[in-house]
Amino acid sequence: MSNATAAAAPRRRSDGWRWTGRVYLVVLLAFAILPMLWMVLTSIKTQFAALQYPPEWWPSNPTISQYTTLLDPTSDVGREFLTYLWNSVWVSTITTILGVIVAVPAAYAFSRFRFPGRRWLFYAVLLRNMFPAVVFLIPLFIMMRWLHLVNTQWSLVLTYLTFGLPLSIWLLKGFYDNIPVQLEQAARIDGATRFKAFILVVMPLSSPGIIATAIYSFIVSWNEYVYALTFLNDQSKLTLPVGLQRFFTEYTTNWPGLMAASFIMSVPVVVMFLVLQKYFVKALTEGAVKS
Amino acid sequence: MAEVRLDNVVKNYGSLYAVNHVSLTVADGEFVALVGPSGCGKTTTLNLVAGLIPISGGEIAIGDRVVNTLDPKDRDIAMVFQNYALYPNKSVYKNLAFPLQMRRLPRDQIDRKVKQAAQTLDITHLLERRPRELSGGQQQRVALGRALVRDPAVFLMDEPLSNLDAKLRVQMRSELKRFHQDLEATVIYVTHDQLEAVTMADKMAVMNGGLLQQYDAPAEVFAHPANTFVASFVGSPAMNLVPLKMVEANGQIALASPEGWQVWLSPERAQVARRASTNAVILGARHSTIRLHKSAVPGAVAGQAYIVEPTGDVTFVQVKLGAAVVIVSVEPSVSVAPDEPVWIEFDQSKIHLFDGETQNALT
Repeated sequence: MSNATAAAAPRRRSDGWRWTGRVYLVVLLAFAILPMLWMVLTSIKTQFAALQYPPEWWPSNPTISQYTTLLDPTSDVGREFLTYLWNSVWVSTITTILGVIVAVPAAYAFSRFRFPGRRWLFYAVLLRNMFPAVVFLIPLFIMMRWLHLVNTQWSLVLTYLTFGLPLSIWLLKGFYDNIPVQLEQAARIDGATRFKAFILVVMPLSSPGIIATAIYSFIVSWNEYVYALTFLNDQSKLTLPVGLQRFFTEYTTNWPGLMAASFIMSVPVVVMFLVLQKYFVKALTEGAVKS
Repeated sequence: MAEVRLDNVVKNYGSLYAVNHVSLTVADGEFVALVGPSGCGKTTTLNLVAGLIPISGGEIAIGDRVVNTLDPKDRDIAMVFQNYALYPNKSVYKNLAFPLQMRRLPRDQIDRKVKQAAQTLDITHLLERRPRELSGGQQQRVALGRALVRDPAVFLMDEPLSNLDAKLRVQMRSELKRFHQDLEATVIYVTHDQLEAVTMADKMAVMNGGLLQQYDAPAEVFAHPANTFVASFVGSPAMNLVPLKMVEANGQIALASPEGWQVWLSPERAQVARRASTNAVILGARHSTIRLHKSAVPGAVAGQAYIVEPTGDVTFVQVKLGAAVVIVSVEPSVSVAPDEPVWIEFDQSKIHLFDGETQNALT
């Protein structure tokens, strides 16, 4: 009997904490979800309904006409939007692929090899992240002009790489640090070359880390706005974030259209994250906790 | 199977010599243990033989091939690691098959060899499991199996038993020994545990500070340690080592302590002691060669029992002789109380004498 009361008292106390936690999470969730929900709801309203005040909480005549227009390559709006979408996909994908190609060997080298200036170089890699991105806007613009890359998408790929790589390398290095060096040694003794040992033994073990870095660099380039706005002029080369901004100015009154475009822009990121989030979580915890 | 020859092998990092001019030959089919405390260079030596780190000087030959610059994969060796280094994302079967796949053996041959190795090590029922689903002992067997499948010229083992619990370690120790006897394989085995070396190896190489201290059969190392380091490292409890001063009176030689007690040496022993470079001589005696008396005996040294440790088979008594403490083993039936006065008698034929200056054995 006394045992039961002793057990009940602490549970009651922790119940209080648990409920506080739940309330907090619900508020946080609402804060994150509601704008997105409003975006989706608005995107399926008619133009008239979208401007009503007080707002129509639930669209009475839902329509997907905005989506069909945006994704219709025969209409002007559709063509413009699809160009932006394609540009974004292209820039983000190339950045991601190049990022992984550079980050994987770089992180491996930092983790495994002892070479002169290793520590110094490693901190140099992280130096970029100590400054706000805007600080580099003008210098990078001048550099891109030297390289004759202004108004090409390669200027963005290059810029996003310099921003994304430090964290990718850092994250992956943590991964490689946790893979016992004996595994590679065993593989080399078992008949693999150093390179083969890396490909056959180390790479599969670090795939969660590689996937996580890939997601990270894709999302960063997908969302980036300021550099895309500065480096690109040609309308045919713009990426989605800048393109959407153009929509704001050109189609001010078409709120449902804007919201539909925004929604389409968020889909790839959300889907990618949902599918691969377990790797992302694994990557972030793996580096921190020694197994 | 093959012989392994190390000739003046050096591995240095700047002025730090991890392996300092080590020369030794492991005969074909021999089981050699590299022993020493942590940081003595034994694992570095093994890694040099494996080719996992580049050699700084000297020559390593496996069979009649100098392998100094060869890749690990071309040295025809297999290695068992302390943490087993099983590929965590591969099943046991694939772990065992990996070395064979790397050598592009036909699939049916791989299958046959893997199953054969699994049978030898009694792990057939584990073939489909992942390494993390296995117990420590099972992982150990798989690691051994991966070394075994390829039938290499030399087996290298880096503390393969030190991650197992005490009971399993003793069991695996006998299995490894049996495995060596059946295969007649050349094995180089690194351990910090002198007991493992003594029980398993045909020869043991005792290392300290990157230097090879002694290389001989365990019984020989035990009976004739080359210097005070080997004397104190091999055998448990360690050999008693008491630094003394040589004094001469009436043509006889005694070893005297600062407190004044003396051990008179027999004429043969006295002759040996005279070879010391100075008059500093270290007296070495194993616990089992010292007799303990409960009353004064001519030639015995008076002391005081300090700590009494019964182990069941034998009782260890630590005896204080002035500042020095000497461990003596006695029959469990002998009862000694702490602080009781006792007398210690050294067996002249079984004591060891070391040069107090060079620490080397006097012979």
